[in-house]
Amino acid sequence: MPLSFSAIQSKLCKLFLLLAQVSFFCLFAYSCQQLASWLHSPLPGSVIGLAILLLLLCGKVIPEKAVNSGAAWLIGDLLLFFIPPVVAVLKYEDILEQYGVTLISSMLAASCLVLLGTAFTVDRLFNFERKLKLQKQRKHAQLLRAPVKIAPTHTASGVSL
Amino acid sequence: MNLTLLALLCLALTLGCYYGSKALYRRKQRVWFAPILLAPLAILVTVVILKIPLASYFQYTHWLAALLAPATIAFAVPIYRERQLIKQYPITLSVGVIVGLLLGLATSWLLMQLTTMPTELSNSLMVRSVSTPFAIEATGAFGGIPELTAMLVLLTGIMGMLICEPLFKVAKIRSAVAKGVALGASAHGAGAAKASEIGRQEGVIASLTMIFTGIAMVLMAPLFASVIG
Repeated sequence: MPLSFSAIQSKLCKLFLLLAQVSFFCLFAYSCQQLASWLHSPLPGSVIGLAILLLLLCGKVIPEKAVNSGAAWLIGDLLLFFIPPVVAVLKYEDILEQYGVTLISSMLAASCLVLLGTAFTVDRLFNFERKLKLQKQRKHAQLLRAPVKIAPTHTASGVSL
Repeated sequence: MNLTLLALLCLALTLGCYYGSKALYRRKQRVWFAPILLAPLAILVTVVILKIPLASYFQYTHWLAALLAPATIAFAVPIYRERQLIKQYPITLSVGVIVGLLLGLATSWLLMQLTTMPTELSNSLMVRSVSTPFAIEATGAFGGIPELTAMLVLLTGIMGMLICEPLFKVAKIRSAVAKGVALGASAHGAGAAKASEIGRQEGVIASLTMIFTGIAMVLMAPLFASVIG
């Protein structure tokens, strides 16, 4: 497939933008880690950085556009960054050989419990919070003496927000 | 072989396996091609069979692991983008995060009591249900080891991905919010990826839950560790 000059140009532009944004994130992470160690903060630098960036975004100091593609790559390819630590597990080969079966079977049971417990709680709670919202809307509507207007909350695939 | 060359080849192997399995998974949606399963497995097998020394493997690939910190900061962007959704269902989301976190910790603690695993392994298990960058920050408080933690987090993610659909069917969980929160809280990034396959809304909710569970784990780890210890 022949690529036109302008297509290549826009691709290069995007790549450059991505690189610039990722470097920004790296620099920002490094300075936050320095800040955390300088302050003897109990919080790790990366979580402080997350809070600062969120505040900057909410205050419109940094536009979302300026960090969008960098963030998308860092989050989208998160798995790539933790493959090296996983390979490092070879250092503990003998422990894993000995306890591997116990570990996997017990973790499987635990995962089922967490998944089910959370899903059940949220399922019940979500219905409760929706009812609460509807009641509030109704009260509000009565006060205004206006007809109740409730957005449809059901779709074919189940409950939507 | 020249050691620098070997180290460079290891970096190439890591990148190749990851992006290769990603492309493969996009084309054929089969679980065993998923990058979370195929890529680490292929790399581990290669390193073991070719007897590559771990020092050479890490010479350049440790830079990839260094990107975990910037990635943590990058989570600010999806929180900002989905702020409307957070404002809409604050109770459901926050209780979901708390329940997921506590259940994760409680089940790990139970495993620790019921089985006789060496302490470094059982301590690393405590943070298994949160996303890796947060888990690696938090595991120290419990006396866990980062490398073991990374592997246990990965395993938890794979399990969550595999068991979620039959479990939801059996338990009759139908709402998008419940599926999303449960996947995000129990299986972090892998759960969020699975949730986006189920639906867009499930995916967004799962990612948010994953981020908040991770942050909460890092914040609360010293407290939980002192309670358990």
